Amino acid sequence: MPSLDPKNLSARLRYRAAGNPPTTTPVSAIANCFPGLEFDFRNLWRRIFVGIILHEADNLVVGVEPGVSPTIAALAGKRLVAVNGVAITAAVTGPQVVGGPVTQLVPAAFLEWTNALADIVTRPGATVPCTFQDDDPATGGPVGPATVVDLTVRAILTEGAIARDAVQPGELTQSLCSPWQNDYRECGCYYWAASRPDYVNVDTTGVASTGHNWLQKDRDPAVKDYFASNLITYEELFRNWPGLLRFVVQGNDSE
Amino acid sequence: MLLNLPLLPSAGGFPLRDSGTHAAGSPDVRLVETDAGPHLFVVGGSRVYGLTEDQADDFRAAMAAGGEAAARLLADAGLDGPPAIADEPPTEMPMRSLSLAVAQKCNLACTYCYAQEGDFGGEAKAMPPEVARAAVRRLLGECPPGSKANLAFLGGEPLLARVVLREATEFAAELARDRGVRLGFSITSNGTLVRPDDGDFFERYGFAVTISLDGLGDVHDRQRPYKGGAGSFARVVENVRPLLAQQRRMQVSARVTVTPQNLDLPQTLDGLIGMKFHSVGFSPMLASPTGRGQLQAGDLDAVLAGMIACGTAFERRVRAGERYPFTNVVTALREIHRGTHRPYPCGAGAGYFGVSADGRLSACHRFVGDAAGDMGDLVDGVDRGRQQKWLAERHVHRQEPCRSCWARYLCGGGCHHEVLARGRPACDYIRGWLDYCLGAYVRLLTARPDYFAAGNP
Repeated sequence: MPSLDPKNLSARLRYRAAGNPPTTTPVSAIANCFPGLEFDFRNLWRRIFVGIILHEADNLVVGVEPGVSPTIAALAGKRLVAVNGVAITAAVTGPQVVGGPVTQLVPAAFLEWTNALADIVTRPGATVPCTFQDDDPATGGPVGPATVVDLTVRAILTEGAIARDAVQPGELTQSLCSPWQNDYRECGCYYWAASRPDYVNVDTTGVASTGHNWLQKDRDPAVKDYFASNLITYEELFRNWPGLLRFVVQGNDSE
Repeated sequence: MLLNLPLLPSAGGFPLRDSGTHAAGSPDVRLVETDAGPHLFVVGGSRVYGLTEDQADDFRAAMAAGGEAAARLLADAGLDGPPAIADEPPTEMPMRSLSLAVAQKCNLACTYCYAQEGDFGGEAKAMPPEVARAAVRRLLGECPPGSKANLAFLGGEPLLARVVLREATEFAAELARDRGVRLGFSITSNGTLVRPDDGDFFERYGFAVTISLDGLGDVHDRQRPYKGGAGSFARVVENVRPLLAQQRRMQVSARVTVTPQNLDLPQTLDGLIGMKFHSVGFSPMLASPTGRGQLQAGDLDAVLAGMIACGTAFERRVRAGERYPFTNVVTALREIHRGTHRPYPCGAGAGYFGVSADGRLSACHRFVGDAAGDMGDLVDGVDRGRQQKWLAERHVHRQEPCRSCWARYLCGGGCHHEVLARGRPACDYIRGWLDYCLGAYVRLLTARPDYFAAGNP
């Protein structure tokens, strides 16, 4: 049967493309502040300040909007380091090795937008002083004297929906995970939500847990954690992800 | 706005007199046949879909074959999935709304009043100021910064306790400001005691003011006389007119209780909207303490016809780009557009409670002094055991035969107070009204999609 035409908001929210399982709807999606599989909410922050366009996961000004003043145009390529007098970067300290001495690891690490801008996101229309520094290509951090420019906070939500001028068409699906190439392999922290478990049948009675890791080449025996040597490597994944991942189709591993 | 008003003007559920009317249909879907083409209402999640004629034929056939066939077809269309509403009641519902029975007494003698001429069948009482303040502290003490809450004044006639009402409002506004809570105020009054300075006060605090008016002139007077028997309409209109002209922050609305004696709804609606009320809504009288004024089965057909006539007038005005604030249809369209689906008819006993003059909490303003809806007191707060039992027992999945009714998540099972008093005599009326509203939604979504743009209705 061809798809029914969703009319009201709850129907549109539950829209499911033909053939997709229920876990692909927004309500069950992995689409939080980290790159998601369906959309990447971090892109909501790119246009939080009227006039400039930020990187979704960094404090770099990647561009400016058309028709801005020369003052704002000059911000392209700079790094935003403080908003309303509050730093949005922090020095990271810690030991280099287990038990080693505590040293400064990163002088000005970027704090992700959701936390860094929590104080101003509820104040759309307000003008706040924003502090910028040049980008140091050598370190990827800020360098040089500070420039303070007053910028207006843009509403990213209206009436509970994403504001039309907060993201351009296509932006919410930029910067998605590329799970079958790199990102799933990269996430070795059991990050993925319960709808996509990466480690199942876990037995924690021993010293180290055993279970089935989604990346293990042989799915029959339980192996020790994800450090086990029989996991699919990056290179193998790049070369042959459909063959190795064996997607479950109609309840069975595909060959 | 006020008290988490239900989608419907009053009770709902399943009729005793026609328990088999939708047996051949499906508890999961409802076909909406309109001039704008066939549409499907999917009960789980209150979703509305447009259908091709072929799809509509498939659903008609499946529904004729019974609920299981319709459920299979729904799955084929990819519209199945986990249930939209769980069987388990919510736990730890925070208090967000209180109504204070500041005066358990009244100067009118309305034939049908749930408060039995204001005193709830007991002695007349006035709420002491310290009880009102304790209620405010209880409400705002449970609200985190940034949350929204509502404080309502009811009775009896709340303006018989003007001093307490104003003091509680000022106290609450200040406390809410300190705590960063967005607090709204509302009052339901019979209008006979309203003074011009009340308008100034309500305007200053942005009250939602609801005036009970049951019709125009004699029609109103027959139902809402003073205790001495004289009519109250002329006095109410004289008192309220300045407020209608004054409303900026405040909104002054009319609420019409519908009995067998005031069934000309289009005339009443037109008349009251013409008086510049912010909105006008109807509430069918389904259960009065004495049985007087209650609508009977035949009356409900007339109420439905009147409601649909009012709705049709509303549709005509919206198509012409005019405002026509008929509350019942405005609310229904907004909720259908959102796809609101819920296991209760309102927030009574969940986030909303009534407070009696002596400081007891009840499931809502109608249960003041009634053990069936007792929820503890202001000193110790909500009795969580009683609340949990209430939420478990009142869940629409526990109501028979609501469980098999397609309207269950729009209706929520009907006003608890009316259902406990009289059962569910109005289910045909409710389904009829919702059927009409679904059709109106589809028609207006096609003809005037701008009506449903963000922030409207």
